[in-house]
Amino acid sequence: MKKHRILWIIILFAFATVLFFSNDFGLIDVEKEAIITAVAIDNEDGKYSVTVQIAVPEATSTSAQNTKTQITGKGDTIGGAIKNTGDVSGWFPQLAFCNLIIIGNSLCSTDIIKVLDFFAKTLRVQDSAQIVLADNSARELLEKTTPLDNISSFAIQKILFKNPGFDTDVATNDIKTFCAGYYDLSGSSFMPIVKVLDFNAKQENSNGSSSQGQQGSNGQQSSSDGSSGGGSEDKGKNFFDASTTALFLKGIKVGELNEAQTHAFNFLWRNVKGTTLSVNYSGANEIERYLLKVLRCNTKTKLKADDKGIKMKVEVDIYCKIADHNSGDHNANLSNNKPLPNDLIEQTENILKNNFNDLFKVSKQTNCDFLQIRQRLYRFGHKYYERYQKDCLDLVKPEISVRISGQK
Amino acid sequence: MLMNLFSSLQKNTEKIKEFLTSSDVAFTSVKVGKAKGLLIFIKDVVDKNTIGDLVLRPAEKFKGKPTKSNLLTIFLSPELKTVSDFDTALEEVLSGNAVLMVNGIDIAVSFEVKKFNDRAVTEPPTSVAIKGPREGFVESITVNVSLIRRRIKSTALQFEQLSVGKHSKTTVALCYMKGFADKKLVNKLKRRIEAIDIDAIIDSSYVSKFVSEHKKSLFKQIGNTEKPDVLVSRIIEGRVAIIVDGSPIVLTVPYLLIEDFQSPGDYYASPYSATTARIIRILSVTLSVLLPAVFVAAELFHLQLIPLSFLLTIVNSIQGIPLSPSYEMFFTLMIFEILNEASVRMPKYVGMVVSIVGGLVLGETAVNAGIISPPALMIIALSGICLYTVPELEQIFSFLRFLMLIIAGSLGGYGIIVAFAILLTYLVSFESYGAPLLAPFSPLVKNDLKDGFYRSFLKETSSLPFSLNKRRANKRTAKENFI
Amino acid sequence: MKTYQLKTRQICFFFLAFTVVNKLFTLPSLTTSLAKEDLWISSLINLTLDFLTIFALLIVCKRQNLSFLELLEKSFGKMGAKIVIFLYALYFLLKAYMPINEQKSFVELALYINLTTDIYFLPFFALAFFLALKPLKTIGRISDIVWLFTVIGLTLLITLSISNTDFYAVLPIGASGVKKIFSASYVGANWYGEGAYFLFFIGNFKFGKKDGAKILSCYAVGVFIVTAFMIIFYGVFTSIAFRQSFALTEIAKYTTVINNIGRFDYVGILMLLFSNVFALSIPVFFSAKCLDYVFNFNKKWIAPLIVTAILLLTTMYLNEFYATLQKVFSLYLSAFFLIMANVLPLITLFFSRKEKKNEKA
Repeated sequence: MKKHRILWIIILFAFATVLFFSNDFGLIDVEKEAIITAVAIDNEDGKYSVTVQIAVPEATSTSAQNTKTQITGKGDTIGGAIKNTGDVSGWFPQLAFCNLIIIGNSLCSTDIIKVLDFFAKTLRVQDSAQIVLADNSARELLEKTTPLDNISSFAIQKILFKNPGFDTDVATNDIKTFCAGYYDLSGSSFMPIVKVLDFNAKQENSNGSSSQGQQGSNGQQSSSDGSSGGGSEDKGKNFFDASTTALFLKGIKVGELNEAQTHAFNFLWRNVKGTTLSVNYSGANEIERYLLKVLRCNTKTKLKADDKGIKMKVEVDIYCKIADHNSGDHNANLSNNKPLPNDLIEQTENILKNNFNDLFKVSKQTNCDFLQIRQRLYRFGHKYYERYQKDCLDLVKPEISVRISGQK
Repeated sequence: MLMNLFSSLQKNTEKIKEFLTSSDVAFTSVKVGKAKGLLIFIKDVVDKNTIGDLVLRPAEKFKGKPTKSNLLTIFLSPELKTVSDFDTALEEVLSGNAVLMVNGIDIAVSFEVKKFNDRAVTEPPTSVAIKGPREGFVESITVNVSLIRRRIKSTALQFEQLSVGKHSKTTVALCYMKGFADKKLVNKLKRRIEAIDIDAIIDSSYVSKFVSEHKKSLFKQIGNTEKPDVLVSRIIEGRVAIIVDGSPIVLTVPYLLIEDFQSPGDYYASPYSATTARIIRILSVTLSVLLPAVFVAAELFHLQLIPLSFLLTIVNSIQGIPLSPSYEMFFTLMIFEILNEASVRMPKYVGMVVSIVGGLVLGETAVNAGIISPPALMIIALSGICLYTVPELEQIFSFLRFLMLIIAGSLGGYGIIVAFAILLTYLVSFESYGAPLLAPFSPLVKNDLKDGFYRSFLKETSSLPFSLNKRRANKRTAKENFI
Repeated sequence: MKTYQLKTRQICFFFLAFTVVNKLFTLPSLTTSLAKEDLWISSLINLTLDFLTIFALLIVCKRQNLSFLELLEKSFGKMGAKIVIFLYALYFLLKAYMPINEQKSFVELALYINLTTDIYFLPFFALAFFLALKPLKTIGRISDIVWLFTVIGLTLLITLSISNTDFYAVLPIGASGVKKIFSASYVGANWYGEGAYFLFFIGNFKFGKKDGAKILSCYAVGVFIVTAFMIIFYGVFTSIAFRQSFALTEIAKYTTVINNIGRFDYVGILMLLFSNVFALSIPVFFSAKCLDYVFNFNKKWIAPLIVTAILLLTTMYLNEFYATLQKVFSLYLSAFFLIMANVLPLITLFFSRKEKKNEKA
C-alpha cells in the first residue's frame, strides 16, 4: 500500500479533477434555477392552480434591482403543479426561499391539509414559511402591485412581520404550526386573511370612526396603528390588510375572528410587549382618546378539570403607559409617566375581557378549538380527558381576569 | 586518504601541491628560527594582517630551532591547532585557515585566520517586528553563534559542531540547553545529521529534509526562524536548534503547529492585544483556506445557506459570466497565484508594471468584460490577504486552499466537512520527534494552553511547556504524562 | 511499564462528543412514532442501560488493569477470545450500517437539493478507512478537539429552538403506555450502546482515584443533553414530530432572528455534522480492529478495507431495500445490539473478580 501511495494519490486527484470539471453529472446551475419567493394556490376546475412568484435579479449598469415574474402551473397535485411551472418556464423551481404560501378562497371548503402537506413533508420548502388566506383568488392577490415593494410577496411579508413578536394586529402562522394544530387533539388551526385595499378606500376607513372593536358601555376600542401598509398618496396602488383571521377545523374554514378578536387572541399566545391599545372613553366633557403602550404583559392560562366541569382561567396582567392622549389638556407633561385614570383602566379592562370572552364564544359557535382546550385537557386534566373531550368546548367555563396597571 | 605528514618539507610540499591546484591557493615560504617553513592559505579568504601579526612576525622573531614540543609556543594566535595528516591539513586550508609546515617536523600548525565577507546583522525581511529586537541571523555560523551567546550566558548552553556534505563540508551546529532539551532527541538528531550523505549542503532546508521523520508529508515537521530572540526562547523551552553555516535560517526541533501562529511581537505587547492578534491569525487562516471553497459549494450545491438578498446580489453579478462558479473561482485563484509567483521573482524595477497589470488589467478589466464576477474576485483577494497573516505556513495553506476548492466544486459542502475530518485525523496522529503536531490542543496539555490561542501574562507562562518533553511532563506531575 | 493509549480526560470528551451527536438525526422521529410525547422516557431507558454498563465496567477497571482482550484470552484462551471478538466485529459492522444510511439520506435531503448522484457520500468511506488504520490513541486525540464542535453546535441549536419550545407538550408523563415506551426503546437500540465502546477502552487508560466519577459525570451530561433535546424536539413539533425525519435541520429555524439574518443555524448543523462523521466512523474503527485481531492479517489495511468495502457496497447498492432493512434492524437485530452492548460486557465483571482473586493468591 505504501509503495503505491503516490499512484493512489494521483488516481484520487484525477478522479476529483474529473468530477470538478465535468459539470458534476447534471448539477443545475444557479442561473437556471427559479428563486421562488411565494406560492399562491387556487382551485380551478377541480385542479390545483399554482402560481409561483419568482425573484428575477436584473443587473443594470448603475444598479441591481430585483423584479419579479409569475408563472402559473396546473396539476392534480401540488407537486405536479409546481413541476408544471418548471416545465413551462424552463427553470428549475428552487423552493428553499419560499417564505409565503397564499391559499385561495376557493380551497376553503376542502381540507387544506391536502395542499399544505406537500410543503410540510418536503425538505425543499422551509416549513417556517408563513401561510395566509386570500380574500378571493390567491393568484390575483399575488398580482397586485403595491408601493411597499415591487415584489408583492415581500410586501405581504412586511405586513406579517411588521414587528415580529411584538405586534398584536396579525395572527401570523406558519406551515409547521398549522399542521401541528391540524394533527393534534384539537384538530384546529388558523391563518390570517389578507385583503387588498385600495388607497382611497383605506383613507375613507381611517377618516371614519374606526369602529372595528367591540362597543363597550362607555367607549370603544379600535385597532392600534392599523395593519395596512401605506402612506403613499398614489391612487390605484394597493395595500394589504391582514387584521382578520380565518379559523379551520380539520382543514376546513369554519369561521373568522374580527380585528378586535384577533387582537385579543394575540394577547393570549404571543409576546405583546411594545404593542399599543387604542381606547376611547367618555371623560368629563368629551370623548377622550388614549393610546396606551404595553410595557409588560404577563398572560397565564390554566385549565382545571374536575367532576364539576372544566374551567379555563385566563389572567392577563398588563403594565402600560400613555403613549398619546388626544384631549383639551395642554399640559406638556401629560403623556409622560402620567398615572392612568381609573376610569380608563376600568374601561380598558372591560373591553379586553369582552374580547377574550368573545374568543370562547366563537370557539363554541364554530366548534373550532383554536384555543387548544382539548389539548390542554389532555395535558393538564388527563384524568377527565375521556369524559370531557367530546364536549369540552361547550363545557368550558372561561374565567377571565384582566388587570391593567400604569405609572403610580 | 589519512596519510601522515612527512618530516621533510619538500615531500610535504610536493604532496600537498598535488591536491591544492587552484590558483587562489598561496604557498608562502617562511623562516621559523633556523628552519624553513611553508605557509599555505587561500588568498581571498584569510585576513592577511592577522597572518602577519600572529604568524609571520613571531616566526621571524624566533631565533632557536623549532621542534615538535616548542612549535606551538612560538606563535601568538589564540586559536592554534596541530595537524598530523594531509586530510586534516587540506580541510583546514579549504576552511579558510592557514597551515604552516616546518622542515624537520612531522606535524603542521593551523591558524584560525579566516575572514569571510559577511552580511551585516539586519532585520530579516520575513519577520518584521514592530516592538522588540530587530536583529536577524546571517549566513556566517560564527556570527549566529555569537548572537545566541549574547542572549544566553549560561553554562547549560551547549554547541555541538558537525561537518556535513562530501564536498561542501558545511559546518552544522546543534545548539541546546543541557537539562532542558531531551538528551535522546539530541543524540537522535546528531545521528541523523551525521548520516547525511550528500555532496553539498547549500542551505538549512537541505538539512531539514534529511532530519524530517516523515519525508513525504505535506506539513512542516521542523520549525525555523531568522530571529535570535525567537530562537533563544525556543531553546529555553527545550528545543534543539540546528544552525547551518551559509544559511540565515535556523531550524528548531521539535515543531508544534501553534508556534507558527505565535509571533515574537506577542510577547512584547500586552496579553490582550496578543490574544486578539492570535485569534485573528487563526480565523484568517481558516478563512483563507475555506472561504473560496465554501462560496463555491454554497453557489453550486447549497443555495439555502445563502440569505436571499445576498443570493440575489450574487446572481445579479454572475449574469452573463461564461464560466460556472467552480471554474471561475479556480481560474481567479490561478491568476492570483501566478501574480504572487511573479511578484516574488521579478526585479524591483518592473514591480509597478505587475501591480498595474495585476490590479487594473486583470482585476477590473476582467470584471468589466464579464469574464469573472466581483464576488469571486473579492473572495480570492480576501483569501490571499488572509493567507499572509501566517507567512510561514503560506505554502501549505495555499495548497490546501486549492484542494478544498476542488473538493467543494466536485463534492460540495459534505466533501469539505469530510476532507477537514480526514485532515484532522492525519494531523492528530502526526508526531515529530515525540511531540504531537497539534499539541497542546490534541492531546490536550492544560499547562501549555496558556500560550496557545491566548497568551497569558508572562508570570503564568514561566513554566516550561510539557508538549515538547514527555519526561519533563512526567516529572512535574504524574498526571501530565500526555498521550 | 504499561503504555496507555488513552487518558481519562479523552474518554470523558469521547462521551461528550460522540454519544450525543448520532442520536439527533432520525432517532427522535423514530422514537416519537411509537412513544409519542414519552420519547424522552424511552431514550432515558436506553441511556440508563448504557450508564449502568459503564458503571459496571468502571468497577472492572478499579479491580484490575487488563484490557478486554487480555481478560478474554486469560479466561477463554486465544480461540475463545477470537470467537467473542468476532461477534463484536459483526456487532460494530451492523451497528454502523443504519446510522450511515441515515446520514446519507440526511445529507442528500437536507444539504443537496439538486444533485443526482450518490458520489457526494463516497468521501465518508475514505475517512472511515483512514481512521480505521490508526491506533486507538487517535480516537482519544480526536475527542480532544471534536467535543468542542459538538458543544458549540448543540448550544447554538438549542438556544435558537428554546424560544419556540412548548415544554408542556410532553405532558402527561407516561400516557403512551409502558408497552409503547419500551418498544420505542427496543427499536432504538441501534443508536445506543456506548457501553460496547467503553469495553474496548478498559485497560487502555490509567485508572486513577476519581476517574470513575469523572467518566460517569460526563456520560450523565450526555444523557441530560440527549433527554433535553428529545423534550425540546417534541416541544417544537408536538403532534407532527413523527414526520420530522431530520430533526436537526428543522428544530432551530422558527426563531425570529432566522427570518431577519438567514439560516445561520446551519453553522450549528454543520458543526454537528462534522462531529457525526467521526461518530459514524468509530464503529467502523472498532469493527476493523476486531476483525484484524481475529484473522491476524499481514497488512494493517486489509481489515479496514474489508469493513469499509462491505459498508460502501451495502449503502450504495441496497438503497431499494432500505425500508425492509430498517424493519429487520429495528425488530430483530435490536436484541442482538442490546446483548452485545449491555449484557456481554458484564462477563468482564465476573472474570475481573477471578483475576483479582488470582492476583491476591
